[in-house]
Amino acid sequence: MFQIDVTGEFAAFFIFSAIMICGAVLMISLVKVVHMLLSMAAVFLGLAGMFVLLEAEFVAFVQVLIYAGAVSILMIFGIMMTNHQHVEREKAKPLHEALAAVAALCLFGFIFYAIRSTTFPEPGPFDAGEDNTMAIGELLYTGYVIPFELLSVLLTVAFIGAILLARKEAE
Amino acid sequence: MPPWLNESLTWGNALILFLWAAVFLLIVLGFVTYAIYFERKVIGWMQLRIGPNRVGPLGLLQTVADIFKLLIKEDTIPRKADRLLFVLAPVLAYVPAFSVLAVLPYTQKLYFADLNVGLLYYVALSGITTLAIVLGGWASNNKYALLGGMRSAAQMISYEVPLVISVVGVILLSGSLNLREIVMAQDGGWFWNWNFLPQIVGFVVFIIAAVSELNRTPFDLPEAESELVAGYHVEYSGFRFAFFMLSEYVYVYAIAALTTVLFLGGWHAPAPFLEFVPGIVWFLLKFAFIVFFLFWIRATFPRIRVDQLMALGWKVLLPAALLNVFLTAAYLELFIK
Repeated sequence: MFQIDVTGEFAAFFIFSAIMICGAVLMISLVKVVHMLLSMAAVFLGLAGMFVLLEAEFVAFVQVLIYAGAVSILMIFGIMMTNHQHVEREKAKPLHEALAAVAALCLFGFIFYAIRSTTFPEPGPFDAGEDNTMAIGELLYTGYVIPFELLSVLLTVAFIGAILLARKEAE
Repeated sequence: MPPWLNESLTWGNALILFLWAAVFLLIVLGFVTYAIYFERKVIGWMQLRIGPNRVGPLGLLQTVADIFKLLIKEDTIPRKADRLLFVLAPVLAYVPAFSVLAVLPYTQKLYFADLNVGLLYYVALSGITTLAIVLGGWASNNKYALLGGMRSAAQMISYEVPLVISVVGVILLSGSLNLREIVMAQDGGWFWNWNFLPQIVGFVVFIIAAVSELNRTPFDLPEAESELVAGYHVEYSGFRFAFFMLSEYVYVYAIAALTTVLFLGGWHAPAPFLEFVPGIVWFLLKFAFIVFFLFWIRATFPRIRVDQLMALGWKVLLPAALLNVFLTAAYLELFIK
């Protein structure tokens, strides 16, 4: 059923999976917001590792740069600049918890069954290309140039809006 | 590196990878030890002092003694600190600092990982250290540490933008993000083929932003002793403090190597008749010059104010870097294509 030869790639896959799952679980279960944020950054890093394994290096390091770096730091700033009182979490009711556990197990069962019973098409020879940065760049500036430009306009508008809001508050 | 990753993971292969990493770590530690010694000596001479001269011949063992002192010091964690983050922050600062070194090529044959997005890898991972510095400052539960961490993050984010944009010109000229290919694109025999002359604006912006990224004088506001006691690491002592210092000096190594690779032609000789000298010698010479240059700046510049720092980053360096990108693109479009 499972025939897998242990390569470096295989080991790396499991390490990254473990990082991502641990990060996701900790993100939900930790109490302090800064701790949650750090576990989220761990998920981002694990995801970047997965992209590397899929030979999408450009996406992987953009993921690290934008999510693990910029977004995390932005959120940390937000958290540190605002005041945080510890709010004790309400004790969950036992019935509620039991129902949630049953639902989660069912969901897992369904997904597992679906994955196991699907026959995946034989993977064709995959060619990631010599330089996927160049491939992405060419696609962005030929086929997808209008969505790309529209997105950049959207970002600029959001940026200017943020500056305006900050100015108003300063005055 | 790719052939290594796809081979079956035997204990032998894993051991070889591990040993290479360990050897490299020792080399980097050696560099850091003597960079600190050299820095103190050079600054001493520039300020008409002698510098360290007591421990060992010519004071050569001074840094070794300092590091030993840090390692045997009592490890203190403030009671009100966030223990987990306090312990984690130095590790989180050092790991990216060491990882970015993997993509730096030293000669045609001597390199660790031939990554086709090498430059992006460097920029992305070095951002993680900023996160560690903010977390370290926050976890200390000390207002000076927090202020230092905040300043540091603000400064590093502001200067990362011009730093990245200033190398876009180099990427345009060489058509690759792979650091080895960037060096190979500068192969013209003479030193004016290196990127620092065609990309002079980018080069100047890069150097200024790099000094600021390293938190060194004149941009060492995050650890301005006179206003912040010590900055983000004020509560750290012993080997945790040593880790922060270590990552700072490893970034000196990384930035010096990166400048050499991006702008100074890597392992190429400055003139065709000098090519009999092996490439690694040229690389090391250029590398040593950049390191010396950083110490020289530190010895001779005063610290600037925080508002000047931000104004310089956003109002001078960023427009200059953007202008450089446009000029390079226009030049390539009009004259090369």
